[in-house]
Amino acid sequence: MKSHFSILSGITLGLLALSFAGEAADGDWKRGRVYYRFVCTDCHKGGSSEIPPNSRSMAEWKAYFQADKHEKGKTSLKYYVSKAFRESIKAKNQAAAKFIDVPEDQLMKDIEAFAIRGAKDGDAPATCN
Amino acid sequence: MRKELLTMPMHCLFAWGVLACAVGLLQGAALASTADHSQFKGLQQDFKSGSAVTKICLECHTKAAGEVMASKHWSWEWPDPHSKKMLGKQNVLTSFSLGIQSNNPVCSVCHVGYGWKDNNFDFTAQENVDCLVCHDTTGTYRKQSGMAGHPPVVAMEFPPGSGNVVKPVDLKEVAQNVGKSSRDNCGACHFYGGGGDGVKHGDLDSSLAAPEKDVDVHMNALGLDFSCTECHKTTRHQVAGSRYALTATDVHGALMRGSKDDRNPSTCQACHGNASHKLARLNRHADKLACQTCHIPQYARGGIATKLTWDWSAAGRKDKDGQPLVEKDANGHVVYDAKKGSFTYGENMVPDYFWFNGKVDHLTVSDKIDPTNSVPLNRFYGSPADGASRIWPFKVMRATQPYDKVHMTMLKAHTTGNDEDSYGKSFDWHKAVTRGMQDAGKPFSGQMGFVETEMSWPITHMVAPKEQALSCVACHGAESRLAKVPGIHLPGHHAHGWLDKLGWGLAWLTLLGVIVHGAGRAFTSRKGARK
Amino acid sequence: MSERIYVFPLFERFWHWAQAILIMLLLVTGFEAHGTYRLLGFERAVDTHTAGAWALIGLWVFAIFWHFTTGEWKQYIPTLQKVDAMIKYYVFGIFTNAPHPFRLTRLHKHNPLQRLAYLGVMLFIGPLLWFTGWLYIFYGYWAAWGWEQYLSLQWISFFHTTGAFLMLLFLIVHVYLITTGHTVLSHFKAMITGWEEVD
Ligand code: HEC
Ligand code: HEM
Repeated sequence: MKSHFSILSGITLGLLALSFAGEAADGDWKRGRVYYRFVCTDCHKGGSSEIPPNSRSMAEWKAYFQADKHEKGKTSLKYYVSKAFRESIKAKNQAAAKFIDVPEDQLMKDIEAFAIRGAKDGDAPATCN
Repeated sequence: MRKELLTMPMHCLFAWGVLACAVGLLQGAALASTADHSQFKGLQQDFKSGSAVTKICLECHTKAAGEVMASKHWSWEWPDPHSKKMLGKQNVLTSFSLGIQSNNPVCSVCHVGYGWKDNNFDFTAQENVDCLVCHDTTGTYRKQSGMAGHPPVVAMEFPPGSGNVVKPVDLKEVAQNVGKSSRDNCGACHFYGGGGDGVKHGDLDSSLAAPEKDVDVHMNALGLDFSCTECHKTTRHQVAGSRYALTATDVHGALMRGSKDDRNPSTCQACHGNASHKLARLNRHADKLACQTCHIPQYARGGIATKLTWDWSAAGRKDKDGQPLVEKDANGHVVYDAKKGSFTYGENMVPDYFWFNGKVDHLTVSDKIDPTNSVPLNRFYGSPADGASRIWPFKVMRATQPYDKVHMTMLKAHTTGNDEDSYGKSFDWHKAVTRGMQDAGKPFSGQMGFVETEMSWPITHMVAPKEQALSCVACHGAESRLAKVPGIHLPGHHAHGWLDKLGWGLAWLTLLGVIVHGAGRAFTSRKGARK
Repeated sequence: MSERIYVFPLFERFWHWAQAILIMLLLVTGFEAHGTYRLLGFERAVDTHTAGAWALIGLWVFAIFWHFTTGEWKQYIPTLQKVDAMIKYYVFGIFTNAPHPFRLTRLHKHNPLQRLAYLGVMLFIGPLLWFTGWLYIFYGYWAAWGWEQYLSLQWISFFHTTGAFLMLLFLIVHVYLITTGHTVLSHFKAMITGWEEVD
């Protein structure tokens, strides 16, 4: 019985992992939107430092996420999406706290999905509002 | 997302379910469905039209279209039980559009149907119901203004000859990812009422798609994150909490979700009950005030301006090359458009306050008006004395728009579209109005003028965190928000003019009297001492 | 030649000063609630006023009890005797060092004018404020109690404010008349020590 249970949980956990892997295929743009608005925008606030999604085209966003050279390579988006980063700001940033358990790849996909959706030639060009 | 479900051994299902729920909670994902639409054969095809998708939906959801057709979202009509008038979008007047009928191809972008371009639309054809606009979760579904409610399915130039290329919607992708309606679905129309973001209501705009707590505590993307239907509880596609049938005063306690009750589930009290303040004094304020009055200190708080005035009579100006003028202000808001007139906007607006008892009257083109005064396009009834009224916050929209000088009615006009009757093309009000009234099936005398109108919009969204609710002095101070509201006495604001003058006058005189008396005593007693 | 008599027992002195403080507090916070100035902020003013009002009522209840159990209430039995003399004294005599027409004793510690004034405060101004203040506090229950049709907040506020002005007038005159004793401070001292100096 015991072994049965562990097999069962093993399978379940495996499926769970799978489900994440599978899910990472599609970005959840809504979660991406929240992260973008409440984490990225925390730095990118006010006047010229604002980066509304519709300031770039879909192709530009794709390339930007592909290259991942945030601040001209000084830092990386990966870092600002990483668990470690979320952990470090979660005390004062509720969005980081809310999504603390979302896998990094997944969250990156989410943000990309939002940026692409909101690109100037995207499905729903988005400003900073 | 949960494709694995179908291939899973049965005994795993339960454990999986529990874990899936946990994961779902962790992720905050709202996909609680047990059906994966991408698995359905019928939806694995390249759809050529929205109606083609609807037909597949109806194969399983056999009653859905019928339910939608029974709703205002479909009929745009609402029989008012009080006035016995037929209201609804088709019949009421607003300042934002001069009538549905002649402008259908544009207006229908927000109709939950396909193809309502003129009066020949078939309101009984189930395949005309648009399921996707409310159930899309991809955020890619769009209906194109001017296409009578259809989504673009191939890349095309629209309007023809404009050079504006419209991207197609991937209907297959959308159809395979349907889900519960979210704020984005409702917002696609309700945030953009009146022709643009935040234009109409003042308390509904795209900032509510993923708002911060300060903008709306309930929809707070990082907190409660309520969908619209959390309050506008929807059963059988009938959405509760209509602006046509408001509950001004709800004296009942919290309403159990799911209980059989015909109370309006979208009032504040339906969740909060009637005594949710710690201070009894605040609870008692509820016998005069709507919750919204203190808890929505301003409207249009999300950084998006709402229109406050609209002067249609100013339309028609051209630049020196004969091109219709369009002017923007420093914030990029269009303040003048030759096709529409001139506008003003506001953000963080302090509402107007009126007594309201739940009874609303809307003007239709059949109703007589008095053009010597500003014409109320709707009227919110209420009084301090009827016991059923509360003081509510409103946005008041002011406009100048066409009326019939002979029949003394408001006029509808054909303002959109590329034909010669359209005001936006011909800049001829006479043509536009003739066509507008003709399509509405109403008479036009041929003599029109412009009249000032005003329309009230109750404010109920954008509830602020409790720390930002109005403080006492907002009403009890010398400058009071409720200064113009009749039938109330506000300590701290309403002093008693003459009583105060008399009281202080006597007090000062008395003080003076005792000072003089005292001085006299001091003087005489010194003299006495010297003696 | 002056002698001393013990006129104000401890409770009376306590009652008097507690009442004095409360009334001044109520005046200050009351007129702020009325909108005359800003000091504590409307909300704090109202809270303080309400708390002060309850305290004052509590105090009055004790005081009434005390007056009846000790028989001190008889001090306030009104009399018109010598009232004219008192008025004459305050208008003329006081400036010419004429003798005070009233001789204070343990059994008659208030002069006839005082008696009338205090009785007025206790029978009229006090109850007016008390009664209208209560209606004010329970405003929210009027409807439930079926009183709404007979009352209006505006009038309650009017009478309460009227009471407040009367109390203010009393206070000004009262504080001044304190200085008219044997010496400027002798009445004041009496209310602290209980012993009054008399001629
Ligand atoms: C800790 C602050 C911070 C955070 C968090 C942050 N950024 Fe940046 N970002 C910067 C700075 C600084 C720059 C450089 C600005 C400049 O060069 O003017 C920048 C630049 C950018 C640029 C402009 C191109 C470039 O790389 O220079 C983009 C796009 C951008 N960030 C996207 C994001 C996204 C998406 C996120 C969230 C995942 C994010 N940023 C989070 C600070 C931040
Ligand atoms: C010396 C005694 C008192 C004075 C001088 C006084 C003075 C005042 C004044 C000037 C106001 C403002 C009235 C208005 O603008 O409507 C007021 C308000 C009020 N008073 Fe008094 N008052 C006294 C005693 C009391 C007592 C005994 C009570 C209760 C039993 C009371 C309860 C209230 C209440 C409830 C308000 C209304 C505050 C609000 O809700 O805005 N007061 N008072």
